[in-house]
Amino acid sequence: MAEMMLRDAIVETIRSEMRRDPTVMMLGEDIVGGMGTAGGPEAIGGIWSTSTGLWAEFGGNRIIDTPISESAIIGAAAGAALAGKRPIAELMFADFVGVCMDQIWNQIAKFRYMFGGKSKCPVVIRLVYGAGFNAAPQHSQAVYSMMTSMPGLKVVMPSTPADAKGLLTQAIRDDDPVLFFEHKALYATKGEVPDGDYLIPFGHARLTRAGENATIVTCGMMVGFAEAAADSLAQEGIGCDVIDLRTSSPLDEEAILDSVEVTGRLVVVDESPPRCSLATDIAAMVARKGFASLKAPPELVTAPHSPVPFARELESAYLPSPAKIIDAVRTVLAYR
Amino acid sequence: MAALKPFTMPKWGIEMTEGTVAEWLVAEGGSFAKGDLLALIETDKITNEVEAERDGVLARIVIPSGETKPVGALLAIIADGAAEPAEIDAFLGTFKAADTKVAAGAAAPAPAVPVAAPAPPPPAAPKVSIVPEDLAISPQARKLAEERGIDVSTITGSGKGGRITYQDVDQAGRPPAPAVGGAPVVIANDTSVVDGIYASPLAKRLALIHGVDLAEIDGTGPRGRISKGDVLAKVAPAVPSAAPVRAVGGPPRIVPMDRIRKVIARRLTEAKQSIPHFYLRLEAGVDKLLELRRIANIVAGGKASVNDFIVRAAALALIEEPGVNIQVHGDDVHHFAEAHVAVAVATDKGLVTPVVRGADSLSVHAIAAATKALIAKAQAGRLSFEDMDGGSFTVSNLGMFGIDQFDAIINPPQGAILAVGGTRRVWAEQADGSGKFESRIGLSLSCDHRAIDGAVGAKFLAAIKRLIEDPERLFG
Repeated sequence: MAEMMLRDAIVETIRSEMRRDPTVMMLGEDIVGGMGTAGGPEAIGGIWSTSTGLWAEFGGNRIIDTPISESAIIGAAAGAALAGKRPIAELMFADFVGVCMDQIWNQIAKFRYMFGGKSKCPVVIRLVYGAGFNAAPQHSQAVYSMMTSMPGLKVVMPSTPADAKGLLTQAIRDDDPVLFFEHKALYATKGEVPDGDYLIPFGHARLTRAGENATIVTCGMMVGFAEAAADSLAQEGIGCDVIDLRTSSPLDEEAILDSVEVTGRLVVVDESPPRCSLATDIAAMVARKGFASLKAPPELVTAPHSPVPFARELESAYLPSPAKIIDAVRTVLAYR
Repeated sequence: MAALKPFTMPKWGIEMTEGTVAEWLVAEGGSFAKGDLLALIETDKITNEVEAERDGVLARIVIPSGETKPVGALLAIIADGAAEPAEIDAFLGTFKAADTKVAAGAAAPAPAVPVAAPAPPPPAAPKVSIVPEDLAISPQARKLAEERGIDVSTITGSGKGGRITYQDVDQAGRPPAPAVGGAPVVIANDTSVVDGIYASPLAKRLALIHGVDLAEIDGTGPRGRISKGDVLAKVAPAVPSAAPVRAVGGPPRIVPMDRIRKVIARRLTEAKQSIPHFYLRLEAGVDKLLELRRIANIVAGGKASVNDFIVRAAALALIEEPGVNIQVHGDDVHHFAEAHVAVAVATDKGLVTPVVRGADSLSVHAIAAATKALIAKAQAGRLSFEDMDGGSFTVSNLGMFGIDQFDAIINPPQGAILAVGGTRRVWAEQADGSGKFESRIGLSLSCDHRAIDGAVGAKFLAAIKRLIEDPERLFG
């Protein structure tokens, strides 16, 4: 066990997987960090510092600094994966997934299916997402809900450094394409990270708080908010299960239903906008399969159906917060 | 070393033979202060709270909540401080359940008679699981299936990979939903019969439903507007009712008895089958009582009901004829110095009989206040064991439902019960041979012939009648 920041857990995981498996490689904008600047390669270590030191160790054939073209990054990664590599493609801002959407959802997501399992496309696409950085509508979105709706993709969003390591290791070794969502606000989060090989299988949620009065289902940066809400409610004697989904595809229905069968009251916290979202998906699943256990209509704590605002005050109003989660828990508890 | 004490199933009243640990309110190993609630114990009559008599620690819970055990059975071990597991185990091995038989009523507790001490309660038998251990089923679903005894082998799980959810088990335990549908229904979609015609919205809707062409109707409404009645006149002969059709056929709706219902069923079956009932009936004139009640309510500023007067009359009659003021326990008849009159109260959950204690020494309006409080507690489901225990006689009144007269089943272990009907006006011959309308009330006394003979019951009922017909005596 070592304490480290989530961004370091990611670098260390990539480094050890690249050492372990020579087919693992990485592509992305500015990932060498300083290429073409006065300081030269590694001068800045990538804008998120999630690839620091990799170019020096593995060289330009495995750490590929690309032009500013998401389309090229993902297209190249898809081709490399089909040819036997295990590429890690970094999208500096998840918001730009739109420009490479054909590569992702018409090609990468469908190769295995269209060729009857004879081909595989083991790409990991790391997408840096989320609001809270005053980065305006095009650099702040939580697009995992959209990707979750696409068959053929696995969708992962770690909330702790340990989970970042366990899930990223699993993603790199997985034979299916994985969209790995990293929240920018979590990069500096510190936590204990297990040493050595550490894999977390997909589709296994993490129960981070246990209580019998309500179930809070969430993921990514919202996990910390939900935990803060649960801890505050616990002071009043209100116990909440907090479920960190870890992966939205596959979804750990079992963990959600088991909890709701005990509590009967569900709050889903989701950073993405509320229509056709992860939150509505989970609420619908529980309404369908857990109807007999529900004692109140599910409450959703989500962003509004709006672009992410630029103004700081509006951006904080946009995001879910511990206070909003507490209100939602009170609402489901008050339902008779 | 901590001093250990057994916490055994308490005995509340002579009829209590067993109780159910409804809930432990202190966790194993948890400490408590004097007066804290330790557990809820459920008996046939009531759920009662057990208070700690002194500070201590709940060292070991022997009987988990939900289990029913006889009086005196070891439920838990209480320590005055932290206790070692080995100490507790040693205590468990040597514990012998005491005989906890107590005398009823006001009599002093009989000295405990040494009897062959029952062995300490056997360790809880391993729970027989009807759900295979390795089945893909959620924990709550497993619990529900075992509680309700539902066979899960026939359930197709709706969870991921066919895992069985709570909902699956819950649904499997229910009767099939009433069928909806059947013959194809005609969905009105041809609006040509209503388009461009001056008619009320309801008339248009009815025209669509019944396929009536509004063009063929001369409206009778203002300016020739076609109304509902105009359309319905065309829809001959039957006017379909808008009321939902009552479901016909299908299986009956099966509602399992709840605990209170089961207790009522068991106790009354036992009473009716094992007690040789006989019934005495008469009518009492209540004109004077009704008039006195009107005045007394004004003077006392209270609101005593006719029933409160009858409870008072019964209480005084019980003192006058002590042979009826009894409980029957096997071969023993317990006689009481005071009249503890139970009043039958109908609640949403069933019949309960809280007791007005010492009713013979209470005024009519004190009885009214006590009864009102008991009824409120009964309706709220908050009667305590003490509220229900120790009655020596019961009054049951169905007069408010317009019942003239009925016979009641004795509420054991009491010896008799009075069934009171409603007031009715009767044309009656007077002493001088003339006729006059009188208000009368029907009384029926059910007696346990094992302890009460006909003559005793008759004298008692006659005493009630005299008291009712000479109601000033009720204020004596």
